[in-house]
Amino acid sequence: MKPDIVPVLKDLEARLVGVISPKIQPAYHGGTIAFVGFMLGILADEWDRSADRLVEENRAIRAIFAAASPGTADPVLLDRLRALAQVVEPNVRVSALKAANDALRAALIDLHVAVERTDSEEARRIDTMIRRELVASTERRALSTANF
Amino acid sequence: MSAELAEGLARYLRSRLPGSAEVTVDEIAQISGGASRETFRFRARYRDAAGGDVERRLILRRDPADSLIETERRNEFEAYRAFFGTSVPVPEVLWLEEDPAHLGSPFFIAVEVCGFEANPILLQSEPFIPLHRKIGERKWTILGEIARHDPKELGLDAVMKPAAPDTAWKTQLDYWEGVIDADELTPQPIIRWAIRCLRQNPPPPAQKISVVHGDFRSGNFLYDAEGTIHAVLDWEMAHLGDPLEDLGWSFNRVWCYGRDDRRGGLLPREEAIAIWERASGLRADPVALRWWELFNCVKGQGIWLSAAKAWNDGTNRDPILVYASWFPTNAQDRHALELMGEL
Repeated sequence: MKPDIVPVLKDLEARLVGVISPKIQPAYHGGTIAFVGFMLGILADEWDRSADRLVEENRAIRAIFAAASPGTADPVLLDRLRALAQVVEPNVRVSALKAANDALRAALIDLHVAVERTDSEEARRIDTMIRRELVASTERRALSTANF
Repeated sequence: MSAELAEGLARYLRSRLPGSAEVTVDEIAQISGGASRETFRFRARYRDAAGGDVERRLILRRDPADSLIETERRNEFEAYRAFFGTSVPVPEVLWLEEDPAHLGSPFFIAVEVCGFEANPILLQSEPFIPLHRKIGERKWTILGEIARHDPKELGLDAVMKPAAPDTAWKTQLDYWEGVIDADELTPQPIIRWAIRCLRQNPPPPAQKISVVHGDFRSGNFLYDAEGTIHAVLDWEMAHLGDPLEDLGWSFNRVWCYGRDDRRGGLLPREEAIAIWERASGLRADPVALRWWELFNCVKGQGIWLSAAKAWNDGTNRDPILVYASWFPTNAQDRHALELMGEL
């Protein structure tokens, strides 16, 4: 589609927030229009990067799962992690990537709990990998307009 | 909607103003929506019992039709009532009505504090930038005053659930973890990690139990172009607890509207702490305060996740709920990581 989606969303954001919303009465509805504008700006951030972010994140979490050994989690959890580590998404639609991401992040929580409870070098290594990935995930998800 | 609401309000005011006549309500305008309360301003005119003509600018705060937060409504009303006339500026509340027969759902009516701003982003532009120090001094002084007051002397110990110094933390953490359990639409590995850290390292007991506003931040007070704060609003999450909970919430990075280290877009954290300590007469123990700041990341995320669920379920399709979920959630996670020493 042309023009490209991102500049269109950014332009719509600027119009709604800066030009249209101040003219809408009552002010409550003008405020709602401004929020819609801000959300279009958020979508502009997400549009281009969303699939790439999810692919990278899913790959990073699968790598952590592949590195988990019998010393870091119980057999049931390890089986679950190994199964998830081998999953290949059926396509690169954001919805498919997101569904996989949800399953991976849910298992990541369980693995994080498990390694926190295990006193071993191996568990500490996996714990470090998890912490680094969680920090990296927030960098991938950062909004250009965020306060922090 | 406006005509029906005006009629309902006029009927209600007639019932509450003995001897009044010719009661009319007009100029109704919605100010805010959200998941919990609708807020409207309106003008009421009537002849009072002495025959004088009266015009009042009032605020209606009404629950949505399916609201289940009854105790919080009374908490909010009683908090305003208790602090009115004290060193903590709040609007005057008039009537709390819990019978839904009048306006479709319970509500309360307050006197409008007219002519001031609440917008926290506006504080980042002229003429407010040179006033940041003054507004920040006042903001954290007021917060200290809230902490300093005795809930018993305010009568709020009879209204709000009791809290104990050594378990106030657990009551709040249990509640907000429960909210996240119930409302998350996607897994939350960072906030779950934060919850584990908080449980494994509880804070010292509260030095006192105070009234906790629950949402004290830039955006919830009315200010003017001279930097005076005229009223603290939005007491719907008020409860009894550790006053450091409120101080921690005011430092949430999500409120750093200047997109730098100034808390609430106004002052550095250490300066705000000093102001609060002077006003409250309390000490902000660094370890305890860090705990409450991390707790407030959990609470914040609980609120943003609940907004997402309410919109997703169809309970409330106000667009502000989407914005309240999309915009702060990653920043909230990052603040939790910062407080856990990971950034």
